[in-house]
Amino acid sequence: MKPLVPVPRSHRIALGIAFFVVFVAAWSIATLGGFVSRTFLADPMTMLREGYALFSRHGFAIDVGMTVWRVLGGFVLAAILGVPLGIAMGAWKPIEAFFEPFVSFARYLPASAFIPLLILWAGIGEAQKLLVIFIGVFFQIVLMVAVIVGSTRRDLVEAAYTLGASHRGIVRRVLLPSAAPQIAETLRLVLGWAWTYVIVAELIGASSGIGHMITDSQALLNTGQIIFGIIVIGVIGLVSDFAFKAVNQKTYSWALADR
Amino acid sequence: MSQLVLEGVSRSFAGVRDGAPTVALQPTSLSVAHNDFITILGPSGCGKSTLLRIVAGLDTPTAGRVVLDGTPVTGPGADRGMVFQSYTLFPWLTVRENISFGLREKGLPPADQDRIVAHYVERVGLVGFEHHHPRMLSGGMQQRTAIARALANDPKILLLDEPFGALDNQTRALMQELLLGIWESEKKTVLFVTHDIEEAIFMAGRVCVMSARPGRIKAELRVDLPHPRHYTVKTTPEFSALKAQLTEEIRVEAIRAAAVT
Repeated sequence: MKPLVPVPRSHRIALGIAFFVVFVAAWSIATLGGFVSRTFLADPMTMLREGYALFSRHGFAIDVGMTVWRVLGGFVLAAILGVPLGIAMGAWKPIEAFFEPFVSFARYLPASAFIPLLILWAGIGEAQKLLVIFIGVFFQIVLMVAVIVGSTRRDLVEAAYTLGASHRGIVRRVLLPSAAPQIAETLRLVLGWAWTYVIVAELIGASSGIGHMITDSQALLNTGQIIFGIIVIGVIGLVSDFAFKAVNQKTYSWALADR
Repeated sequence: MSQLVLEGVSRSFAGVRDGAPTVALQPTSLSVAHNDFITILGPSGCGKSTLLRIVAGLDTPTAGRVVLDGTPVTGPGADRGMVFQSYTLFPWLTVRENISFGLREKGLPPADQDRIVAHYVERVGLVGFEHHHPRMLSGGMQQRTAIARALANDPKILLLDEPFGALDNQTRALMQELLLGIWESEKKTVLFVTHDIEEAIFMAGRVCVMSARPGRIKAELRVDLPHPRHYTVKTTPEFSALKAQLTEEIRVEAIRAAAVT
């Protein structure tokens, strides 16, 4: 195959779907063919049945709603505080020098390790869940936004100066618009990470949510429900990612590469 | 009388790992009269761009100073418009928004902005492309927009750093005529940096030849070809004589530059 040659859109979609088909087929053969014990892995049919039961009898929709709200809550909170701080750090080097070492350090603190502390501080309510997500994504957002803003094309900044822009004008009319598309892409990426943190937060000390359902099902050895829960997370992630991407592409059409 | 005066402007860069500093520009003096078109001709790496960046205020001289209309230059400002060799249109703005960038910064009323933008869009031949984003434009169109953007601000002096360097020969020739046409009708002090001898003569009222690095102005040449200039002037005997003279001057420097690097 010739490298880097694009495929037509129809082929690309067909190939993407093909892998899902192969995946489900392999799963079906392994389980329905009796190669794997049903105690460890439910077959696709059982999984779907369990999933239907979850929604119809166990009020799973509420769990899904809770999880989505936690992800969005923690993510939005982190973005509202993290993006402005990142922009300030990228634009003004003294601010960066002040915060950067600490943020770089804090970035490596595992959010899940904070859960016991956070339970102690904030209880097992919603605040604790939001804080886990916040700690998990806030420092990442700050650093990534700072790097994006800091790498603004210098020739554009110089051009703006020769057009009479003030220092504030440079930030407002060059750094911000030039960084906006990449910041939006970063947030899209980080939203995906928020999903992994929420499940971790819900595995411990939660009374609702997809993660809570998964822990419950583990106690009952109901692998069908566990897999269904994981797939629901994947589907929501995929849908929100598509939506985010579509909004970004529409808002920042000028930044689309000619590819 | 002189609008722009360079007084012994020099620039050296700190040496790598405590080495000797690199001299990019030897002390250079230059006086530019109102509405003169000066081209600065030199081999690559001779410091001609550094000189222009110092006039723009984007770089600070190690010694000497730049005085514009009696005021020393301390930083970049709207009184010195600049067109760069790289494409520096703001990619998130349309052609008309790019051209009005400086006008908005000045806080001009929208009606005045529209009038000025319309004038320069027409002047550089971009009617119908006002709402295009830069990525949809060819290199020549982008540079025409960049010229319009700089002129719309009505700077005292226009600085151009090899603005047509990245364009193909045909487009480059058309752009030269376009810029010269604008200069002939609107009159403006222009400092134009290039390494192309023909371009330097065709555009100039005066050509300053720079030596190889470390650069200095080693020769000046008046170009008394009549205005308005047509592209056919490039085939006249007078043009050829100037070209032969400058070719000699620049050849010596190119050889020196090649020997150094």
